[in-house]
Amino acid sequence: MKIDEGIAQATPSLGSRRRQYSSYAIAALMVLVFGAARLPFEAGLTRQHRAASFGNVQLNLGLRAKIGQLGFLAALSGFRTLVADLLWIQAHTAWEKVEYGRMNLMLNTVTTLAPHNVNFWDLSAWHMAYNASVAAFNDSKQPKLVRRLQAQHQYFMVGKDFLERGIANNPGAYVLHQSLGAIYRDKLEDHWNAFLEYDKAAAFARAPTYEKRFAAYELAKVPGRERQAWERLKRLYDMGPQERLPTLEKSLKAMEEALSLPEEQRVYKTPVQNPLDIIGKKLQIP
Amino acid sequence: MSTPAIAIRNLTKVFPIPFRRDRVVAVRDLSLEVAPGQVYGLLGPNGSGKSTTMKIVLGLISPSAGRTEIFGRDSQIVDSHEEVGFLPENPYFYKYLTGMETLRFYGKLCGLRGAQLADKAGELLKLVGLEHARDRRLGGYSKGMLQRIGLAQALIQDPRLLVLDEPTAGVDPRGSAEIRDLIVGCKDRGITVLLCSHLLGQVQEICDRIGILDRGILVREGKLEELISIEDQTEMIFRDAPPALLAEIQQLVAKSYPQVNLLETRKPQTTLERYFLEVTTAAKAKG
Amino acid sequence: MDAPLSAFSPRAATVQHRFFSPGRVWALATNTLTELIRLKIFYFLLLFALLLIGSSAFLVQLSFQDQFQMLKDVSLGAMSIFTSLLAILATSGLLPKDIEDRTLYTILAKPVSRLEYLMGKLSGVVLLLFVSMLLMGVMFAAVLFWRVHVVTGELVTGGGPQELIDQQLRDLHATAYNPNVWAGGLVIYAKACLLASLTMFISTFASSSIFTVIVTVVIYFIGHLQATARDYWQVSNGAAMGHLTKAFLAFVSLVFPDLQLFNLVDEIVVGTPIAAWLLYKTLGLGLMYFLIYLLAAFFVFSNKEL
Repeated sequence: MKIDEGIAQATPSLGSRRRQYSSYAIAALMVLVFGAARLPFEAGLTRQHRAASFGNVQLNLGLRAKIGQLGFLAALSGFRTLVADLLWIQAHTAWEKVEYGRMNLMLNTVTTLAPHNVNFWDLSAWHMAYNASVAAFNDSKQPKLVRRLQAQHQYFMVGKDFLERGIANNPGAYVLHQSLGAIYRDKLEDHWNAFLEYDKAAAFARAPTYEKRFAAYELAKVPGRERQAWERLKRLYDMGPQERLPTLEKSLKAMEEALSLPEEQRVYKTPVQNPLDIIGKKLQIP
Repeated sequence: MSTPAIAIRNLTKVFPIPFRRDRVVAVRDLSLEVAPGQVYGLLGPNGSGKSTTMKIVLGLISPSAGRTEIFGRDSQIVDSHEEVGFLPENPYFYKYLTGMETLRFYGKLCGLRGAQLADKAGELLKLVGLEHARDRRLGGYSKGMLQRIGLAQALIQDPRLLVLDEPTAGVDPRGSAEIRDLIVGCKDRGITVLLCSHLLGQVQEICDRIGILDRGILVREGKLEELISIEDQTEMIFRDAPPALLAEIQQLVAKSYPQVNLLETRKPQTTLERYFLEVTTAAKAKG
Repeated sequence: MDAPLSAFSPRAATVQHRFFSPGRVWALATNTLTELIRLKIFYFLLLFALLLIGSSAFLVQLSFQDQFQMLKDVSLGAMSIFTSLLAILATSGLLPKDIEDRTLYTILAKPVSRLEYLMGKLSGVVLLLFVSMLLMGVMFAAVLFWRVHVVTGELVTGGGPQELIDQQLRDLHATAYNPNVWAGGLVIYAKACLLASLTMFISTFASSSIFTVIVTVVIYFIGHLQATARDYWQVSNGAAMGHLTKAFLAFVSLVFPDLQLFNLVDEIVVGTPIAAWLLYKTLGLGLMYFLIYLLAAFFVFSNKEL
């Protein structure tokens, strides 16, 4: 009897447990309300991050197929560049084993994972255009020269493609323009485009001074551009002795001759012959 | 009368059993008061609601109904804890701290600082007899030492009320006696003590007043001597009484007071505890 | 009999209680830090040192651009992993251990509010994370300086035209020293603190510390996908999407933190500059998360039956 009274008294204010549940509810509500409040802020911040080229890497299923479940998980949880580094080292191993096809695939994954690592783009392009292409040309398993030349050209283009994508991802990297210029110059022998790339590289404030020289050298090799080339070379020459390197002097001289500049405009004058010699020669004429 | 040290009024605590529509009533309509300066023993078998009552008094859990106060302040509100020292059952403190660091930590929680804190901590270590272990980590303390450092921690801010839950559980008789002496010392200094225990011998030795809980209900409550003395019996204890004297007394009783029953004649026994302490002390003194 | 007792009053009178005391929080924080340090938790730093030295030895075979790039990737990546793990593991055990050992009772029986208790414990972890970041940063800087020193020597003695050497040295310093790395470190720290606060929140209602760890790790992974779910949910509003899918995406977006926003270090390491306002905005968001989770933890904990 007395016991029942106790329960009866207790029942109306069975508070504590209910209070505990309601505190769960409050906490859950807080998380949700905060979630709703931060939603637009976070969306905006994400946009701002991406505009400042942070974290705009699309991790999709295609990528997962390439880097495997574990790598994908790691990449998802904030260790993207670490996965890229590991793959880069693996790509190096592929290089040592002369497996260029596989290497190409891996380098593509690496640059997808770490698109803002300029070095990865640069070296990937270099491997393809300079190493893989040579290997393709020397491929002993392919007897037909035409085929080997085709394969070689394809690797040039792969290298070029890496650099172009790298530039698109990293507009501030003059090195990539320089490397692209080199591929145009050395591999594709397209001196006009080589000039354009070196010129772009030279336009960056941080770029070393030789970019300007390289641009001018390439321009000098483009038929019909001798005048512009001469102007650029002359400007460099006038900057002082530190610019007057052998290649520059040779190139400048060639332009002066190609343009048949009047004697007084030339840096490299036609050597003046000793009048006495002339006289002597004349005297010798029988 | 002055404000009671502890006032429990119509306290009920119900625990629902998770995932069932059932519930357990741990404490049912409990009311009691502990006067300042008293040592109050709260007794009861396991699961009788002692610990629950204690936790509510300390504000660790909230009552389903009713109210508890410490020196007139609602014990669910933190400020009432300024007056309380608590030693839980089988406590483990931070075992990477030394004895001294432990006391300093609890002292800082009570707002003590600097030299005052260092003095107080040193004093308490001396009081509980742990001066030799002040720089030893608690991981290396024995059960009894842990219990004593627990007591020191409870006393760090000079509380007016001490709440002790099974302070001697699992401690050997020697340590147990030391803790009992410490509690008596606290009582002598005017500290109110609420003691939960089912070591009845000890409770009997030190408590002024007891309450007995059974299945959440306070079944008996009162002054210890009133509750347990047997009013219609008398004991006489002699030293060096010759057998002839005892025979004479028996004769006298039989002859002159036929209504008096002599129930038993026996030699009083020392308690096993006292015997044990005597023997171990002797051994200790020799060794 | 009453007279001598009332004459001896252990404490003068009723003590004035302060509702919130930074002193108590600080005492709890330093105590938590001491406890964690004495648990020998800093042994993981040996692992970090080993990783640093091992990777720098291994990377020697690469070009110096690669070398320094990867050294930075590995170091900051490891800092991120270690601090995140440390935050989750150190925090998850605090509350269950105090409850199990009944140490919590002794603390809450003192004039300590539950908010102060939670703040103190969490601050202890925050301090621990700070010390860890600092130590790892110092180790990283030491290895970096050492490698730069070695490589500089190689370049200078390697010979070649002076102009080329100068250019290479400039490149070296540009790759090796990046003034923005500290910003990356700050964001890593913010993320770790966020995780500590989240873990504390979960441990207030979790049944065990292993449960807390598992739930937090799951949130960690989903948190990195939250942005994708949010984009999907918001961009394809009204597009052909089932209600269930939509509800699911909304749930993920609202409940889970966007941890991708705290992954700036990948780009910072390769030299992408970060504007101060963008950094502060990101850190500010981290602070908001930290506070909200702490507050939620307090709500649950304040009504918890101990």
